[in-house]
Formats: sequence, structure tokens, C-alpha cells
Amino acid sequence: MEDQIAELVTKVAELEAASGGAKVTNTVFAETYYYLTIPLMIIIHAGFLAYEMGASRLKNVLSSGVKNILAFAFMIPTFYFFGWWVYFGFPTGVPGEAGPMGISGIEYANSIALGWGESAQYMGPNIADNISGVFFGAFALFACTTASIMSGAVIERIQTIGFIILAVVLGSFAWVVAAAWGWHADGWLVTQWGVHDFGAAGLVHAVAGFFALGVLINLGPRIGKFNADGTSNHIPGHNMPLTVVGLMLIIVGFWGFLMACVVPPGEAWSWFPDKFATIYGTPITLGSLSFNILMGVAGGIIGSWLFTRDPFWMMSGALAGIISTASGLDIYYPAHAFLIALSAGLILKPCADFLDKRGIDDAVGAVTVHGTIGLYGVIMLGVWGAGFPALAIENAPTVSLMGQIVGAIVFFLLGFVPGYVVSLILKMCGMLRIREGAEIAGMDAVKVPAAGYPEWGGDAPITPAE
Amino acid sequence: MFPYSEASWSVVDGAMFIGWGTSLPGITTFLSMLACIAVLVIGQRSETAKAKKFDK
Repeated sequence: MEDQIAELVTKVAELEAASGGAKVTNTVFAETYYYLTIPLMIIIHAGFLAYEMGASRLKNVLSSGVKNILAFAFMIPTFYFFGWWVYFGFPTGVPGEAGPMGISGIEYANSIALGWGESAQYMGPNIADNISGVFFGAFALFACTTASIMSGAVIERIQTIGFIILAVVLGSFAWVVAAAWGWHADGWLVTQWGVHDFGAAGLVHAVAGFFALGVLINLGPRIGKFNADGTSNHIPGHNMPLTVVGLMLIIVGFWGFLMACVVPPGEAWSWFPDKFATIYGTPITLGSLSFNILMGVAGGIIGSWLFTRDPFWMMSGALAGIISTASGLDIYYPAHAFLIALSAGLILKPCADFLDKRGIDDAVGAVTVHGTIGLYGVIMLGVWGAGFPALAIENAPTVSLMGQIVGAIVFFLLGFVPGYVVSLILKMCGMLRIREGAEIAGMDAVKVPAAGYPEWGGDAPITPAE
Repeated sequence: MFPYSEASWSVVDGAMFIGWGTSLPGITTFLSMLACIAVLVIGQRSETAKAKKFDK
């Protein structure tokens, strides 16, 4: 009898040890999962950098790069200072009351997202906290993505400081409010309207795209873009291959972006003990992403190739393919995602031409690719995904066309209004557009003490061998 | 088009995509195949027409 008890005790101890090991493994996996999304998302910025510099003329190539790099750099600390706090503080709206899930409201945000007092323990190295840092990192990179989306639209005529102010307003405030309302499980758009935007077609892409539109209206077109009769001229960038490779890098980085929209299982903060969840707490598999992202990329490229034959628009079509299906990447059937992406690729260029004819000089098509197609994606999910529960709770609100339209309108306003108002203020302060002489001479000559291609151009230095 | 009779994730134990259990997956697959073929046909025709302009 005693032997049996001793054997039993030993087995229990072994099981406890194994369970503890599995728990540690899961914790390390979950932390590593988010950690790896961060460098993957930085590839998005390598892509935006290449794409913007390639789309710039030779005289502006480095200043476009500097602007893009600075946006990234300012986004991280400002998101740390207040963006992270806004995300947790206002899901239920203003004045920031706590939501039913217990992970929102100003009081909650004060306890985990401020860089001082007791809250600071979650905003720095902490051996007992394996999630805050990597989760913050993933969100900070979402913020950087919004700024980079706007960055491409305004190249070759914006002032550096004015641009950085706009980037901070967009990346550390405007899209964060959209995320709090339409992405957080306590967000009022989710709990009251059943809004579902898994991959952030609306709350990242559309917000950033229409923020850019608001800025472009006040910024005005590049000199030489439009003729006196209103017709437009194409201003080619200096390096199309660089632009196309940059767009492909953005696609690579999107895998990290969308991976970061998924919550791993088995932790205290996870939605499920045994399966991945969306940020709303609804179930998902990484296989869903694999099927649908690939089909979305393919559909977007094929659709845009049909009418344009232009590698710039084909790779923009790849982005549009992902963005148009992003809201429902967790629940689309792959062939369905392909068709939606194909349609996005088909409408892409006509939508860009529509803006062009109205005097909007969007140098890289950001308003169309991210803004218009982002809203298209949000609404498409309302057309096809009606009836899906928006949360994994009993009596959950369900996805509906009306809910998705309301979400689309809110995302549009959260982008356009701050973009227009802040850029108008900057314009009145003389901080928006660079002086005419500097624009004509080239912004590299004004802003950058280096040359992108020093051996090209009339002032090329003579090499020692000569 | 939630594929289960009760609008709750607690009843989901398998396929969970839009249209599961209906003809939608088959229709979209067929249309996707058709679209690919149509794009190839249109692409071939237009590219050939354009190339002919360079004949000497």
C-alpha cells in the first residue's frame, strides 16, 4: 500500500513538473510569437522607404527617405508616451469608462500604460511580465505603418517638421482612437454595431489613407503636376525597380502585421486555452491567414495587371488585394477572398484617376490603395459576413452591413478630419509646404547634406582617378 | 452567412468560413478559375495586338 502511494506521489510530481514545463514553453512561445512580428513589421518600413525613394525624382530622393525614417523614429516614443494609453483608455468612447471585458477605461489605462508610478512596472523590463513589451512593440509598429502610408502621398513638397507633427497626430492618436473603438473587444463599434475588421482594413489603412487625403487638400500638388486646363502630368519617380521591390517588401512585412493581429492561446491574457484568437476574442487559425493572404495578393495583382500592365500598379494591386480582404481574413473562403481582391485590383486605377481628375496629387496612390480600398474591404465584409458573431460571448453582436457601413464612416472621419484640420493649422503657421524655390531646386539640396547618386548630375564630383 | 444555426462561436467545431454548407465555396472557386482564364485570354490578345504594331 505504502509503495503504491509512494509511486502515485512520484507520478503526481512528474505530472506537475511536466505541466510546469509546458506552461513555461507556452509562455516563451507566446512572447516570442509577438517579438517576431516586430522585425517582420519593420520590413514594411524597409519597403516604404524603398518605395518612396524610388517614387521620388532624383533631386528629392534622400529627403523623401529622411522624412520616412524620421516618421518611424518619432512614432515609437510618442506611441510610448501616450498612444498606448489612448488605446486602453477610450474603447467605450469619451469620457473613458470601463467596458464589460474589464480591460479598458482611463482607470485601467492609468494602471498599465503610463510611464510613471505603479503603472511603470508594465512599461519596462519586468521578469514577471512576458506580454506588455512585445504587445506594445507590435502596436507601435502598427502606428509606424499608418505614418508611412501618409508619408508616400506627400513626397517632394512637404516640410519635415510639419510632416512629423502630422505623423504623430495620425500614428499616435487618430488611428489609435479607431483601434480603441473598432478593434478592442470593449470598443463601442464592436459591442454596439458588431464591427469586424480583423486585419485593420478600416482602422489602419482607411484612417491613414483619408488622413493623407485631408493633408493633400491643404498641401496642394507638386509644381508641374497640373496644367492650366486642369489636366494632369505624370511625374515619374527616378527608380521604378526600387519602388516595385519596396512594394514587395511591404507585402512581406504584412505577414508580420497580420500575425500580430492574432492572440496566441494558453496564457492568462489569452482568449482561449487551446486555440488562436483574433483581437476580438473570436477563434482563428494561422491557416486562415495563409490561405486568404496568398489568394488576396494573387487576386489583387491579376486584377490590376488586366487594365494597367504597370508593375507599380500590379504591386499596389497586391497591397489592395490584402487590404480589401483584411477585415475578414479570418472567415473568408480562399476563392471568395481571391474574387474580392481581384475586384479591388480592377477598381484600383480608376479610383486613383478619379482623385487625379479632381486636382489631388497623391504621388503614390496611397489614398486609393489604403483609403478607398480599405473602406471597400470593410463594407465587403458587411455584404458577405453578416450574421457572424463579432465577439466570443453569449448573445454577441453580429456582423451586419449596416454595422460595417457605420464603421467605415467612423474610420473615414477619424482619418480625414484630423488630417485636414491639423494640416490647415500647419499651413496657416507656414509649416506645411516648402518654399517654391526650394521645391524647384530639389529638397535634397535644402534638407540633406549628402547626395543620393553623387556621380550623376551636373555637379558630380570628379573622382581622384580623373 | 454564419454557417451554424446558432450565432455563437461556442457551437463552432469545424469549418468556419463564409458560405460553408452552401454552394458559395464551389461557385467562388469556379468563378476564380474562370477569371484566371479570362485574364489570360484577354492578356494574350492585347499583347499580341500591341506586338503587331512593331512588325516591320
